[in-house]
Amino acid sequence: MKFSNVSLLILIIVAVASSNTPLTKDACIDCHRQLDEEQDVGEQILKNVFQDIHLQVGLSCADCHGGNPEAYDDEDEAMWDNPTFIGAISRRDQPEICGSCHSDPQFMRQYSASVQTDQVDQYWTSQHGKDLLNGNDKVATCTNCHGVHGIYPVKDPRSPVYPLNVPSTCAQCHNDAEYMSEFNIPTDQYYLYRTSVHGKALLDRQSLTAPACNDCHGNHGALPPDVVHIADICGTCHVNNSQLFQKSHLNNIFLKKGFGQCEACHGNHGVKKPSDEYLNWEHGAVCLQCHGNTTGNPKELADLFYHTIDSLKGQISLAEDLMGQAEQKGMEISDLYFPLEKSQKVLIQTRTSIHSFNKDLLLETVKDGFIATDEAIQGASLALTEFDQRRKWLFIFSLIITYLIVVVYFKIKDFDRRHRNKNK
Amino acid sequence: MSIMDWINERVNIRGVSEFAFKKKVPVFYGTIWYYLGGVSLFLFAIQLVTGILLLLYYQPGAATAFESVKFIVSKVAFGWLIREVHAWSANLFIFFAFLHMFTVFFAKAYRKPREMTWFSGMLLLILGMGFGFSGYLLPWNELAFFATKIGSDIAGAVPFVGEFLLRLLRAGDEVTGATLTRFYGFHIALFPAFFTLVLGIHLILVQVQGMSIPPELERIPEKHRRYMPFFPNFAIRDALFWLIVLNIIALLAVFFPWELGTKADPLASAPAGIHPEWYFMFMFQTLKLIPGHIFFIEGELFGLLIFAFGTIFWFLVPLLDRKARRGQRSRFWTVIGVVLIVYMIMMTLWGYIV
Repeated sequence: MKFSNVSLLILIIVAVASSNTPLTKDACIDCHRQLDEEQDVGEQILKNVFQDIHLQVGLSCADCHGGNPEAYDDEDEAMWDNPTFIGAISRRDQPEICGSCHSDPQFMRQYSASVQTDQVDQYWTSQHGKDLLNGNDKVATCTNCHGVHGIYPVKDPRSPVYPLNVPSTCAQCHNDAEYMSEFNIPTDQYYLYRTSVHGKALLDRQSLTAPACNDCHGNHGALPPDVVHIADICGTCHVNNSQLFQKSHLNNIFLKKGFGQCEACHGNHGVKKPSDEYLNWEHGAVCLQCHGNTTGNPKELADLFYHTIDSLKGQISLAEDLMGQAEQKGMEISDLYFPLEKSQKVLIQTRTSIHSFNKDLLLETVKDGFIATDEAIQGASLALTEFDQRRKWLFIFSLIITYLIVVVYFKIKDFDRRHRNKNK
Repeated sequence: MSIMDWINERVNIRGVSEFAFKKKVPVFYGTIWYYLGGVSLFLFAIQLVTGILLLLYYQPGAATAFESVKFIVSKVAFGWLIREVHAWSANLFIFFAFLHMFTVFFAKAYRKPREMTWFSGMLLLILGMGFGFSGYLLPWNELAFFATKIGSDIAGAVPFVGEFLLRLLRAGDEVTGATLTRFYGFHIALFPAFFTLVLGIHLILVQVQGMSIPPELERIPEKHRRYMPFFPNFAIRDALFWLIVLNIIALLAVFFPWELGTKADPLASAPAGIHPEWYFMFMFQTLKLIPGHIFFIEGELFGLLIFAFGTIFWFLVPLLDRKARRGQRSRFWTVIGVVLIVYMIMMTLWGYIV
């Protein structure tokens, strides 16, 4: 290979490797790069701009801020005297300026056929948007959540609105008591969420199926859910529980009294992994929050639910224990895992059926669980009995063999004696 | 005319019984070693009987093998017992065959004129290990699947013929249902046929040449040597030993059953602690310890070459041990035998403990 060819190859490699940097010349970048050099790193506006999705797809500073990016040596033409120049975008104007592209389906389709284009419309219906229209600049606008001069696609883990980052992004404002003081809303949501079953699943186990703030409150149209809608929101994931509750007699009572459906028993941001103890009347069942020290129907129902589930759990535990013993003794009982798994599934279904607050439905649901555990218990007991039988038969067999051994031993002695006599 | 007379008129069966009654077994400190061959034969007979019974229900194939073994042990009357006896008896067979080989080795019983008995015995041991390797895969469980994968991988590292061997064993590039069918064929047809033939030769040679005695006893004049009749004195002792072993097998089958485990999943990653059967462990552990490269040879290949040459060397001992052939003491070979036993035990223990 000739030297020139090598040089060309190196040039191509360098060009490809540095493809994050736009190759076209831009007066805004030229000047602001020089200005950035005089700034602290935190103040530099171009710090992350080359990774910005907008620059990546070919947009320039001027597409948002106006001005003439080709006026290299003329600051006035580039900015001050240029009628298109907007400069720093005010918080009030941000939604519409972002929306000039993002609300245009025709334009946005070139990037994705299924791209959403109603963000701005939704935003104006959100509490953030409403407050902004009312002149409150402290509310979140596009850049508060998505970042600025370094905006990543939502699916990019570096994006502040990537599911794993959403709670901390919202917490920037909502966790700041001083900043939020004028809004008169609590600021412990992030703390509560962090310790909740959802927060642990999302942030500790990094399960993207777990809900972040926006999954319940919406994102661009973020609002606190109404009492009427809480069951629908929880029902997005917990479908059966939500449907059963909404059909139950308690739903109307909750709505009339203004109780927050699911929230009334499970809480909201700090929702914990539900426990069967929620039904334990003797040890602080959640029902007591409303029913106080009343007895009668509520207590009877809670007791029935609690003891039925407890009984099924006990049967499952017994089946597991017996199966464990049988397996430890080398018995083949893998078929019993089918009824055991079925009973575990029924246990979950029974817990779900509680949301109907219907005794008959619960008893109907749990029935199959007891049948399945009985099958597993009987199978395991049979295996253990068979093991005992094997030991018994082994003992008898060994006894016979030992007897034969003794007989043969004396026969050997007899043959040896005969052999010795013969030799004499 | 009795049935015996009737048969004897046609075939000289009385000659066989007269031979058995006339046959003598030397009595000395090592007479107990003579039972090891007999007990191996007894265990082989158990394998034959239990193997045939298992065949009645076993269905080879990736979709059916595991299920059929599960069916045998959980649904078939005494199916569990047949499988356990088959599995334990197989292991005891290898154990006693090894013991038999080493006692023959230390007693120099391979020396002239019994070289062919040694060769046939070695073949039987190798075939026995082949039985073990092929039978291990048949339940198609996770442990067996990965052990076979590793075992056949090792065969694939043999120079020149490795790829051929690997494909011959696996019936393809990977361990699949085709491998299982092939191993089944080896286990129930090819190996038994070959084994029976070699066993026949081995037994005929033993009967024709009689029991060997160590060289130092040979120097004692014939009239001072002690003997016992093969039948019934020795045969009944054999029977006693067999009964004891049968009792041990029954105990092992009930109290230490071989777990079936979970069905093999070719897409799953290998579970921790995969190892071959205990009688391959010393080789497996050696291969694990050998560094990646020794001089210019790959470590695994080096290990295989050592085992290949070691086996050939061991096989040819009757021809190499000239002193024993002349009836002289050959300490060198005794030391080699002791070193080999110590090495095998240490490596096996290391493989299981570490």
